[in-house]
Amino acid sequence: MVRSIAHKEFLSTLRDRRFAVLSLLMLALLLAATLVGRRGYATLQAERALAQETVNEQFHHQPGRHPHRVAHYGTFAFRPRAALSFLDSGLDSFTGAVVYLEAHQQNSVNFSPAQQAGSLIRFGELSVAFVLQTLVPLLLIFLCFGAFTEEREAGTLRLLLSQGITLRQVAWGKIDGYGLAAALVVVPALGLASALLFSSEATAGSPDRWARLALFGLGYVVYFFVIIVGAVVVSARASQSRAALVTLLGCWMLGCLILPKATANLGAGLFPAITKAQLDAAVHEEAQHGINGHDPQDKRAAALKAALFKKYSVSDEKDLPMSVAGVTMAEGEAYSSRVYQQHFADLTRTYERQNALSTWASLLNPYQAIRPLSMGLAGSDFAHYVHFQQAAEAYRYQLVQHLNGLQASMGYGDKERRLDAATWRAIPVFTYQAPPLGWALPQLALPTLALLAWALALSWLGMRLVDRSTTG
Amino acid sequence: MRLFRLLFYYEYLHFKASRGLLLLTGLLLAAGLYGIYYGTAEVARQRQHLAELPDLGRHQVAELQAKFPGPADAGEVGYYHQNYALHHPTAWAGLALGQRDVNPYYLKLRLLGLQGQLYASENVNPTKALSGNFDLAFVLVYLFPLLIIALGFNLLSSEREQGILPLLLAQPVSATQLVVAKLAFRLAVVLGLGVLLSAVGLAWARVPLDGRVGLWLALGGLYCLFWFGVVLLVTAWQRNSSFNAVALLGAWLTLVVLVPSLLSVYVAAARPVPQGLALTMQQREAIHGGWDQPKAETMRRFFAQYPQYRDTATIRERFVWRWYYAFQYLGDQSAAPLARAYAQGQAQRHALAQRLAWLSPALSAQLSFNALAGTDLPAHMAFQQSATRYHDALRAFYYPFLFKKVPFTHAEYARLPTHSFTSPSDTSAAWAGLGQLLLSTAAVYALGLALLRGRAVQSR
Repeated sequence: MVRSIAHKEFLSTLRDRRFAVLSLLMLALLLAATLVGRRGYATLQAERALAQETVNEQFHHQPGRHPHRVAHYGTFAFRPRAALSFLDSGLDSFTGAVVYLEAHQQNSVNFSPAQQAGSLIRFGELSVAFVLQTLVPLLLIFLCFGAFTEEREAGTLRLLLSQGITLRQVAWGKIDGYGLAAALVVVPALGLASALLFSSEATAGSPDRWARLALFGLGYVVYFFVIIVGAVVVSARASQSRAALVTLLGCWMLGCLILPKATANLGAGLFPAITKAQLDAAVHEEAQHGINGHDPQDKRAAALKAALFKKYSVSDEKDLPMSVAGVTMAEGEAYSSRVYQQHFADLTRTYERQNALSTWASLLNPYQAIRPLSMGLAGSDFAHYVHFQQAAEAYRYQLVQHLNGLQASMGYGDKERRLDAATWRAIPVFTYQAPPLGWALPQLALPTLALLAWALALSWLGMRLVDRSTTG
Repeated sequence: MRLFRLLFYYEYLHFKASRGLLLLTGLLLAAGLYGIYYGTAEVARQRQHLAELPDLGRHQVAELQAKFPGPADAGEVGYYHQNYALHHPTAWAGLALGQRDVNPYYLKLRLLGLQGQLYASENVNPTKALSGNFDLAFVLVYLFPLLIIALGFNLLSSEREQGILPLLLAQPVSATQLVVAKLAFRLAVVLGLGVLLSAVGLAWARVPLDGRVGLWLALGGLYCLFWFGVVLLVTAWQRNSSFNAVALLGAWLTLVVLVPSLLSVYVAAARPVPQGLALTMQQREAIHGGWDQPKAETMRRFFAQYPQYRDTATIRERFVWRWYYAFQYLGDQSAAPLARAYAQGQAQRHALAQRLAWLSPALSAQLSFNALAGTDLPAHMAFQQSATRYHDALRAFYYPFLFKKVPFTHAEYARLPTHSFTSPSDTSAAWAGLGQLLLSTAAVYALGLALLRGRAVQSR
């Protein structure tokens, strides 16, 4: 019986012209978003890959230089986009593309797409995730709001129940049918996404990406399930179709539009972050108490020099087997990097606190559960961005320290000499390895649990509400 | 006229009795007040940060004076000394934050090459930036249409569905009069709320009372009028309430969400700006190449642009600051074409967005509010130009010390040029947006009235 209700709902949905038009529109949007997303992804990716290659070449083809000159010449780290970010570009529009890696200081990641665009970009950009998260739920609402109310208004619900089935079974049958209809819209788009992913040779062999895509799809299945069950429950409790529709649309606006913005703004207001100028000043202030790499008169530098003299039992810099400037520079870099890391961790914690409000709101709002889950799986969320920043900083630190080591090994009077051009070719360039799924999953625990909690609560508590709703 | 007043009064009684509508209006009022609070608090925070920067500068000067107790080499001071270019918000910024949260509102400038410093970002929480700002402009552009839809989706259809319409039309009142009276009442509610919120916002943000106040109110009012026009159009169609609700929400979704998000993708693809990355790389190559080039060659190229320093001593030392700053400047010069192309690309991108904004009145309204508040891309680019001039002024200040070998004494710090820039209100862009809104409003009313005239009102 449940199956025949499902079959009937599926068929009548397909026969409904309004639904056919809307879902075709949605499907077209999804396919367009997939293709546009893929194109945008490919353009940016190619732009950044080419730039990275160019700076790597430039680094390797430097003439003979002093290593500290090379440390100031530095290099750039271009942030590659995650493979699945063409489905959900997440924060990619608001995170920078390139960071300059040089001695003594940690620079900001610059040239984010949002900085290169006017406020048009703040209306949001068409992406697969945008369609799946905000538009498909609207389609589902239009599909489901009359599930019970129309049967009641037409008096057919009593007839159905007289066949000996319960309200709950009717509800499940309808959910089944609507689910199948929704799958018709979503599956082709995800199929196209898989095909696009499969067609790029770089991704085809990576099980990590397939696992991410599978979980991505699964996450949306649960999300749509929550929306469909929720809409059917509202329909069962509502007095008229109109009331059900208005309630559901109100929930949609609150959930997809108002709550995400309100919680994000509230979080930012509650935990103010420091500015870059304040952060730099604080790092400088604390590093000053240590060794200043450019200032050999500094007290600590003198102590270091004295220690070296003692260790090698010499009384003149000339007799030391290493360059004092190089050693001092390395110590200074180590100290200021440590200070910077602490401040950077504090700033990241502040941002995480600001975002926590939104993440916890996922218990109230399934949209705020699927959004972090989706961008986390696509590799375009805050955690992935911080991972890149840390990788770039780790590379910067080891590059500069390697160059300081080279300088130290040049011995006394290093400033007058240069190292051979071949030296730079031996230094490995910056390559970024995006973190695996296993790294990303623990951070997505809360939104995942929230989404599952919604599914369970609606299947259990929601269905109890359906049981107790009126039949005619 | 008496009839109109009567109809108006009955609408008022109806509204007063409807708990749902009152709740919605109250919610919108609360949202608007929160928006005003959030926007102005955000701008106050930025002002606070801007006010603290000179203190950071003074602290650094004290540090430099301790480091160089006697007269110092200006080159050394210029290398370390951080100057701040400040981008102050207008009083309006709190009402429409625009891009002020993602673009830096100050720049730290040293005497080094400018292009390496001009595009630095501020600390931004990207998750928050993605969610956007809950300011008064957001409430007006996104949420007001929803109130208008809630008030207007059953303008005639509810009467028809309840069977009152034939009774009403049996009175000496025409359908058009009825629709006009009903619309007028709702318009009064919405515009009243809009004016109230704007007045609170303008007062709270301490906006100077000039022509821009009228422009802001005209933009908001016209935008609301447009949505009433959409309601009129759908009412003239004469379908049932559910259909009206769906059609109006469909229009909202299309105009407020879908069209802008499609345009965003289109504009980015149609006007790519790859020059940003290119110019950074170019400038670094040129500056660091400067170390390896013959000094005489570098100075010859520099003197071609600064002939007044041609007679200074020939450089024989291994390192001298004036040579260092000469190749910093030449590095900027070599990246200048790319920098110009980059700025031009961004400006064209924004201009294209503004030109296409007529496709969505929400976009017209939002871009105009931001232009009025001086919080959009053009304001930031004007700030970058102003910062460039500041960097020029700093160079002009330091060059005589460097080339004429004048010692830099403690007294000179106080004579260093300072910078302050307040974003301009782009009223011409706001007027253009008003024009776009006027056209779309006129179009939607013309269509609605034609439809209403063309079809006799069905009373059942």
